[in-house]
This record gives sequence, structure tokens and C-alpha cells, in this order.
Amino acid sequence: MTKDIMQSEAKGLPRMKPATDILETAEGFAIYVDMPGVRKEGLVIDLTENELRIGGKTGYQGATNETRVHVEFGNVEYARAFTLSHIVDREKIKATLKNGVLELLLPKAEKAMSRKIKVQSE
Amino acid sequence: MVIDMNPFYGSMGNFDRFFNELWGPLNISQRRVAYPPLNISEDVDAIYVRCEIPGVNVEDIDLTFTDSTLVIKGERKIEKGKYYRQERPTGNFQRVVNINSLIAVDKVKALAKDGLLEIRLPKAEESKPRKIFIDMN
Repeated sequence: MTKDIMQSEAKGLPRMKPATDILETAEGFAIYVDMPGVRKEGLVIDLTENELRIGGKTGYQGATNETRVHVEFGNVEYARAFTLSHIVDREKIKATLKNGVLELLLPKAEKAMSRKIKVQSE
Repeated sequence: MVIDMNPFYGSMGNFDRFFNELWGPLNISQRRVAYPPLNISEDVDAIYVRCEIPGVNVEDIDLTFTDSTLVIKGERKIEKGKYYRQERPTGNFQRVVNINSLIAVDKVKALAKDGLLEIRLPKAEESKPRKIFIDMN
């Protein structure tokens, strides 16, 4: 198992689709992406017209003088893309990286917000 | 809730090795059976246990070390809202690691950063190799 991971490190990082939650709140959409081991400097967020691309490389220490006894994870490269709905206000997208989780807040555009319509009586 | 009672440390028998080789060609991500995934390594001075726990506050992680068993316990909380997609695991998790070595319990240190939890278990002085000098008469 250990040998396996060391080999893949030499070849280049294995690519992984990070686990993601997408939910809708009253203000807009929220996307949570699990990216453990990724530092702020190693994170890339690209926004094109209707696509949001995220990517990041983990920064775990490579070769040390420690002997690996049991290995279940290693350095990987995360990559994922999301298609944005037209009701998202692109100017106000916010991203925060905390404890290895990337939080993207995508507020809805003003005009897409639901609003109450008053019925006028004659 | 995921409970894993495997005595990982120092128990790589022939049987285990056979199964590991069987699983060998698969990708790392597919080999994750227990949560959270953890790595164990050691050097002359200490044993290191590292695990990936993204999005968990330090206050919500419960670490206990009782005679040669390290228990990592915690909870991943859920956000409120209408879910369109849910892939991230939620709920309670627990993993148990058996350590077959004498540990200086007072010097055990844990550090959480970028979703990685690192626990350093320094080996007790008694368990380190020592040179024995032969007296000549």
C-alpha cells in the first residue's frame, strides 16, 4: 500500500473529485467542498461566464525520515467544476477556506429574489 | 457512525498482506473504508498519527489515549438549507488505533491545521534502543 502511494507521487499527483454539498438558502446557494490539506496559496478558483472551476493541491510533507506504517491518504490534486445558474449574482460570490473546507456563497441576483405581490382592491 | 477496531499498528500478518496486495492497483480514494482516513508513521523518537478531518472544529474532536489505545472521536455537523447534492459525510465518527509501544503519555501532542489532524506520540525512553557496554575484567 505504501509503495503504491509513493509510486503515484513520483508520477504526478492523482486527481480527485472532492466531496461536495450544494444547498439553497434564503439568500442564495452555498457550496461546501472538502479539501483537506489545501492551503489558501494552493487553491485556484476560476470563474467564467457560466462555469465555476475550483482546484487545489494538498501540501502534505513529502519524503521524511519517518517510516510509513499504515497509509490511507496522500497528496492529491482536487479538481471540480460547477455550472452556475443565471440567477446567481456573479459579482457577489464569496469564498472562504477554513479547516480544509472551501465555502462558496453564491447570492441570488436581486431581480431573482421572490417577492410578495400586493393585491390592490378597487 | 463508523467504528473501526482494527489493531493496525504492528499487526501486518500474511493474511492482511495478501488482501492489501489484492486491493493494490485501486486508486487511494476507493480504498477508504473507515472514516476518517489516517496515516501512521514512525521515526526514532515518536509515532505519528495523521488523519484528514475537514470542517471539524477543534472543540468537537475528542482525543483519548488510554493504555496503548488512541481513540479519535468527533462529529461532523450539517449545514441548514435545502440540499441539492450531499456527498460530504456527516454525523459521529470514531477510530481506534492500537499502539504496541511504550509512549510518554505526558508528552503527547496534537495539532490541527487545514483539515489535517496530527498527533505526535513520543516514545518512552525505556522503549528506545540502547547500547550496552561490556565491562572488561
